[in-house]
Amino acid sequence: MSNFPQLIANGLVQGLFIAMAALAITLAFSIARFPNAATGDVMTAGAYTGLATQSATGSLILAGIVAIFTGAAISLAADRLVFRKLAGRAVVASLVASIGVAFVIRAVLGVTFGLSQLVYDIPLTRAKLYWGVRLTPLDLQVAGAVALALALVFGILHLTPIGRQMRAVADDRDLARVSGVRPERVMLALWMISGGVAGLAGMMLGIKTVVEPELGWSMLLPAFTAAILGGIGSPGGAVAAGLLLGVVQEMSTPFVGFNYKLAIAFAALLGVLLWRPSGLFGKREGVR
Amino acid sequence: MSLLEIADLRGGYGEVDILNGVSLTLEAGEIVTVAGTNGAGKSTLAKAIVGLLPVVRGVLNFEGQGILGLPPELRMARGIGYVPQVANVFPSLSIVENLQVVGGVANQKARMGELLDAFPALAQRRRARAGSLSGGERQQLAFARALMASPRLMVLDEPTAALSPKMVADAFERIRALPRFGVSVLVVEQRARQSLAVSDRGYILDGGKVAMSGAASALLSDDRAASLYLGRHAGR
Repeated sequence: MSNFPQLIANGLVQGLFIAMAALAITLAFSIARFPNAATGDVMTAGAYTGLATQSATGSLILAGIVAIFTGAAISLAADRLVFRKLAGRAVVASLVASIGVAFVIRAVLGVTFGLSQLVYDIPLTRAKLYWGVRLTPLDLQVAGAVALALALVFGILHLTPIGRQMRAVADDRDLARVSGVRPERVMLALWMISGGVAGLAGMMLGIKTVVEPELGWSMLLPAFTAAILGGIGSPGGAVAAGLLLGVVQEMSTPFVGFNYKLAIAFAALLGVLLWRPSGLFGKREGVR
Repeated sequence: MSLLEIADLRGGYGEVDILNGVSLTLEAGEIVTVAGTNGAGKSTLAKAIVGLLPVVRGVLNFEGQGILGLPPELRMARGIGYVPQVANVFPSLSIVENLQVVGGVANQKARMGELLDAFPALAQRRRARAGSLSGGERQQLAFARALMASPRLMVLDEPTAALSPKMVADAFERIRALPRFGVSVLVVEQRARQSLAVSDRGYILDGGKVAMSGAASALLSDDRAASLYLGRHAGR
């Protein structure tokens, strides 16, 4: 018989990574108004630069800071060089451009770090049993760091002036502008936060698994799924849906096997969207 | 010098002009109604003044300074507040957050306190999300938000459009009270008679330009204005 508490715990840990990526995607969507397909590769960049920093200094904290700054810097550069120039055009133009940005990031990482799998230098630790669930200290540390980062982002969004301005622009860009909100400041904050979250998520995922050029790309579909499932544009919804998706995927493995767990996630997505087209936590659109 | 001076204003959303040479003025302390039939360009004019119309040419001076090249956020910083027609609050933000989000307010806490005193219905529900408010409460919040930065001019785009008939009279009373906040008002309104009744002067647009203008009382008693533009719906 399967150990369901163990699967739920594994799913929650996996779900935290999906949640972070989904949060980065949904923030960009709600403010810049397009699905940013480069998010996965920004994660990968964070994983590689974090790894390089840890190799050079031995410090994981410094590696985390570098991963955050890398993600933020790449996202800001992509906005300045590409996304900003396409603002006001069809959403599909920005989406396709973001796929292009993703390939460029991956190519640069491939040339810089090679294509083989790399691992963080983390001492092996023995898993401990917590109420019948086996978890390593690393699992708990990574989950704690991710949860802290999510709390920090939500703190920024709800407790700071720039966070309020970001939420205002997400609600109504024109109304925000006539209320004195400067869009360039909001976009700067958006790409710093969205990129920083993606960079840190990539590093955490790299610590938990291996670092390879496809690391973030493989996370992109579940992250988009969570962003849609949570109600696109809803940060809280993206995080909740990411956790839910992680658990659903893990819970399905005893029945369909590891290879098909993503298909189960998509079946769940389809089911939810048929029942509630705006997602679990999205705003219901109506016609006045 | 007029507070607002518009001369030969033309523009629209693309290649076709909706405004075809509008000229009007607004003096400090005045309430001015802009009326007209559907499609006359009333809301387009409001958007042109606050900077939300993509294509605009002509003269647009505020306090003697040309503002045509300024983005909406800088026009707001110069002293122009705007209450849009329907989507006039940030629905996912609370009442307090809707006020806090306004940029360039010197003493934000004190100003918020003044406005919550002026709109007691908002003070009672200050933590409620704006999306959960009734039409009347939303409009009060929209007025309070626009007043946060102490503008000298408020542009109101169809302020009674989303209100139940019962709330319409309250809304016009609220407009009549605005000069007490030191604000002049340009109100674009479909309910022209009621709007002119609380205004000093009025302009009637037709086909994107001014067809008639004058003192509000004169327009209300003008037979041509009544038959062509104002309708016979006094008291409604």
